[in-house]
Amino acid sequence: MNTRPAKPQETIFVTTPESIPERGTLSPPTAPGTGDQTAGYAAPSEAPNGLGVELQDLHAHYGQQHAVRGVSLTFASNKVTAIIGPSGCGKSTLLRCINRMHEEIAGATATGRVLLDGRDVYEQGLDVVSVRRAIGMVFQKPNPFPTMSIFDNVAAGLRLTGTKGVDLRERVERSLVGAGLWDEVKDRLGSAGAGLSGGQQQRLCIARTIAVEPDVILMDEPCSALDPIATLRIEELIDVLKARYTIVIVTHNMQQAGRVADSTAFMLSGELIEVGPTSQIFTKPDDDRTEQYVSGRFG
Amino acid sequence: MRGREVPVETRHQFREELLRIEEAALEGLDMVVHALELTTTALDGQDARHASLVIGGDDRIDDRYLEVHESILSLIAREAPVATDLRTVAAILHTIRHVERMGDQCVNICKLIPLAGNEPPVHTAILGRIDEMSQRLRLQILDAKRCFSERNLALADVVARSDAQINRLNREIFQIALEVGNDFDTREWAMHMMLVARCLERIGDNAVDICEQVAFVVTGKFREFSDASHPNIGRSSGDAPWRGV
Repeated sequence: MNTRPAKPQETIFVTTPESIPERGTLSPPTAPGTGDQTAGYAAPSEAPNGLGVELQDLHAHYGQQHAVRGVSLTFASNKVTAIIGPSGCGKSTLLRCINRMHEEIAGATATGRVLLDGRDVYEQGLDVVSVRRAIGMVFQKPNPFPTMSIFDNVAAGLRLTGTKGVDLRERVERSLVGAGLWDEVKDRLGSAGAGLSGGQQQRLCIARTIAVEPDVILMDEPCSALDPIATLRIEELIDVLKARYTIVIVTHNMQQAGRVADSTAFMLSGELIEVGPTSQIFTKPDDDRTEQYVSGRFG
Repeated sequence: MRGREVPVETRHQFREELLRIEEAALEGLDMVVHALELTTTALDGQDARHASLVIGGDDRIDDRYLEVHESILSLIAREAPVATDLRTVAAILHTIRHVERMGDQCVNICKLIPLAGNEPPVHTAILGRIDEMSQRLRLQILDAKRCFSERNLALADVVARSDAQINRLNREIFQIALEVGNDFDTREWAMHMMLVARCLERIGDNAVDICEQVAFVVTGKFREFSDASHPNIGRSSGDAPWRGV
């Protein structure tokens, strides 16, 4: 994997229009496509590669439906945290609250705090695009832009957030290498992304996500549409990516949680029941409901 | 968020299969009890015929070991058990290994019987203690079985206390054998009985080990009830052995 640009040594202010925000940077609102016009926020110099995320008393509603009920949870930096739980337990909703995608649904609301390295992503006046740049997302079904080439798919996020000062070709290559896809596509970067296999498409989406250099990657059942070999490749990739990103993965596959996650959180009926080291959750969970779920006694 | 689904009980077949394997492993303890009874009879009468029954019958216990071992591996490969199920699977694997070892100890004893001679000296101080060990062991093995099948840690306590008595009897037999006198035949017989007592004492340890596995299944933590190299660490004398777990 290529090395990243040097981390800022001190708090910096992003003042250059159309520049790529530094990692760990959340920006106030800007007009789309124009880049930052005013001072932003940068991570403290001692921050590790990925930034930790802390949820404080997070509630999420769909209209009257209370989908996430007061969850407080910390996602440690440069660790993989899996969220497991039966269908409808609120785990995907919780994930979507972290990068404020939940609020895109009509009638959906969220309260509580989501702190990225100590700063609330729901803070008034914060640019939601900068939140989603800092906290990227990979979805259940690979969703490359169907009319775009492989190259343009990876570059899409960069073009949205500004590309001045960025060697686009170098960044696309680095992202594809990072997603473990480069060797398979380097000779056909102009071909349609939709022409790749399902597993390749998902890795393309991961390349697109890491191209904007986020601090956190959210994954919502990223392998559920993939065959077992493609699944294992993504899992290996997750293990590599965690050296540089904080990863939160929602999965229905408990063995996958066992394989990839450092910590596992179990949710039921919108509540966080238990979180702990993955090996503990799968050998001796504290809560009987966790035991019942992971051992398949209900589902 | 999708519509909430009503939780349903699942994995019935897996659970039934795990229970069947557990029962097969614990039946191994019944086989050991049977072998021990034959062994005791053989010892009492210096009876080579009963001894040969034990030696020949050990194949059944070995077969049971292989059968349970293979079933457990297959279950792990197919069902990926976790949490209490996983601990149970691990405990069954350990237990069936102890069953196999107990069977072997009965064979070891029975192989000593012809060596001790057809008309050995009768030394009631030794024979009485061997008898007491055998009787205690029989109950200890049955208690270990119930301890496992009922996940009853109170019985683990009973087994551990009984085993302390077995260890005492073993030490006493050793002492008596040392002081048994100058008659060569009697000394030779007593040495053999010392080996017999040692085998019985090991069977007792295996029964305690099985109870330790039950404590692991129930509590999620493994700890030996007593540690030969650190016999007094972590317990006060009145504690149930599994309380430190």
